[in-house]
Amino acid sequence: MLVTDRITGGGLMALGAAAAWFGSRLPAVPGQDVGPAAFPMVIGFGLMGCGALIALGIGQSFEPPEEAEEGPKPRLGASGVLIPPALLLFYALASEPLGFLLTAAIMVLVAGLALGSRLAIAIPVAVVAPLLVHLAFYKLLRVPLPEGLIPAPW
Amino acid sequence: MEPLLEGFRLVMATDVLIAIFASAVYGLVVGSLPGLSATMATALLVPVTFWLSPIAAIATIITASAMAIFSGDIPGALLRIPGTPASAAYTDEAYAMTRKGQAELALGAGLWFSAIGGIVGTISLMLLAPALAEVALSFSTYEYFWLALLGLMCATLVARSSPIKAIASMLLGLLIACIGMENPAGTPRFTFGIPDLLGGIEPIPALVGVFAVSEVMRAMASAEPPKLPKRKFGSILANQWGLTKKYQWPMWRGNFVGIIIGVLPGAGADMAAWVSYAMSKKFSKEPEKFGTGHPEGLVEAGASNNASLASGWVPSLLFGIPGDTITAIAIGVLYMKGLNPGPTLFTERASSMYALYIIFILANLIMIPLGIIMIRLASTVLRAPRSAVMPVILLLCAVGSFATGNNLFAVLLVGVFGILGFVMEKNGYPVAALVLGIVMGSMLEQNFVTSLIKSDGDVLPFFERPVSSFLAALSISALLWPLAAWIWMRVSRSRRRVAG
Repeated sequence: MLVTDRITGGGLMALGAAAAWFGSRLPAVPGQDVGPAAFPMVIGFGLMGCGALIALGIGQSFEPPEEAEEGPKPRLGASGVLIPPALLLFYALASEPLGFLLTAAIMVLVAGLALGSRLAIAIPVAVVAPLLVHLAFYKLLRVPLPEGLIPAPW
Repeated sequence: MEPLLEGFRLVMATDVLIAIFASAVYGLVVGSLPGLSATMATALLVPVTFWLSPIAAIATIITASAMAIFSGDIPGALLRIPGTPASAAYTDEAYAMTRKGQAELALGAGLWFSAIGGIVGTISLMLLAPALAEVALSFSTYEYFWLALLGLMCATLVARSSPIKAIASMLLGLLIACIGMENPAGTPRFTFGIPDLLGGIEPIPALVGVFAVSEVMRAMASAEPPKLPKRKFGSILANQWGLTKKYQWPMWRGNFVGIIIGVLPGAGADMAAWVSYAMSKKFSKEPEKFGTGHPEGLVEAGASNNASLASGWVPSLLFGIPGDTITAIAIGVLYMKGLNPGPTLFTERASSMYALYIIFILANLIMIPLGIIMIRLASTVLRAPRSAVMPVILLLCAVGSFATGNNLFAVLLVGVFGILGFVMEKNGYPVAALVLGIVMGSMLEQNFVTSLIKSDGDVLPFFERPVSSFLAALSISALLWPLAAWIWMRVSRSRRRVAG
């Protein structure tokens, strides 16, 4: 997601202003001059300054020129980049009701197919990888992973 | 002598030796896969270290990072795709050697000089850190504040992008570190009523998100790299002794530069490799051969990036200020395991320090046999389809971040940081500066607020002590440098225009 420096700089200015404003509203510590507000306010003003400089294009000359991407284009185009965070959201929501093995298998299968894997490779990976990860984390490291609909064989 | 023997005993424990071996294999495999950096390899290991003894935990971080920095050279030499950014400086050179039929020589040089660099870097760590610890013991919160700020500023100065964007990234990291109740006043800040944010944002989900998830996102948006043809390698180390004798001086210069860059807070192995490769070309008797498959730059830069890895632990162990992103992760592990960084670590936990040195040496020694096996297996490992590796990495990101606190909120955080890291990288904002901001935020604030309370809100004591004023001058120069450089460029450009 490439956006102009004007937009990112403006966003940083807004974020800095919000940080400084919310920071200034934090309650002071009785009997002390310096409270929890000091640090966020300094950062807020710093971000506003940096945001302004970026929006004005200052410092751009230090950046290396953008390299043109070579080779064939990915099959899902630019929208494919949202699949990994979406799958993490899916994991957070589904791992309790569905269980680790099923959730992880769906996650690996979808990510594999999105990356252009053939079903002949994607399915075995989606079956074996969750089992190995479960074995490593649940049995060896004692991380409590949810059983859900399909419990692990161990 | 007693702490040294105790150090040996700690390292020779079965769990530590298994941890070293397993993390060596892991580091070699992950580092050799294009796109998976040494930092990412280390970040994914952190959840595993929760269940290990303190020495085994530190051993996994040291070994995996050293191996990954070396094995990043393998796809660089064979495919012209650097496995880790630290190999990028000399990838073209190594690939040119492969095309000349000298793949064994290029890969062997990467391995041999990485191991030498790692050992020399460790010796510097052994000599420098205890000597500096004496000085560090006299530091007050003022010096620590400036040192932390200087570390952050160094990180922004060495970033290969606009310094203003790097400073903005660092400030964003510091703002993220403000979230939660972990501030000197214990007041909830920027939690927006979300109970999960009361404990603050741990560096681990942030690290895993910006380094690993964003890499999977990048893989989704780019085409699969070319496959490596199957081939058999000849002797890997056959001509390395000859190279060592011939390029003795560049090798030592690479080691020295690597150590200096490693000790600077914020500058890591990537920077060491770039600087050393450039220096090698500059001082070479045959600069015209560079880029055509000439091993001199490989010798110097290969030694440099591994030397910087060990010396990067100097500021981390002494002050808790990371030398690079890998030591930023290591600091988290040190705190988690009760080995709180600071000068007292050298006096109160001397045996642990010796254990750490021994692990460094051991990791660099086993790098040679394991590295040879890895090079021989490269044509098999590098043929692993990215569409099979990346989904497993994504799964490890989810489970690993969940394991940090048995909390699904961390998985969501990893996703959010993945998006943030991806967008930042795309727009020229360095993510390493963001991570250093998150890691060092609470330390910087703690020292800032404590110093202000001590001085009754007066800023003058920040500049009164000699070391403090020196560090302040360095930090402020680093802060103002981008603006000064920009003004200088504008003035010289307008002068040229007038003259033209």
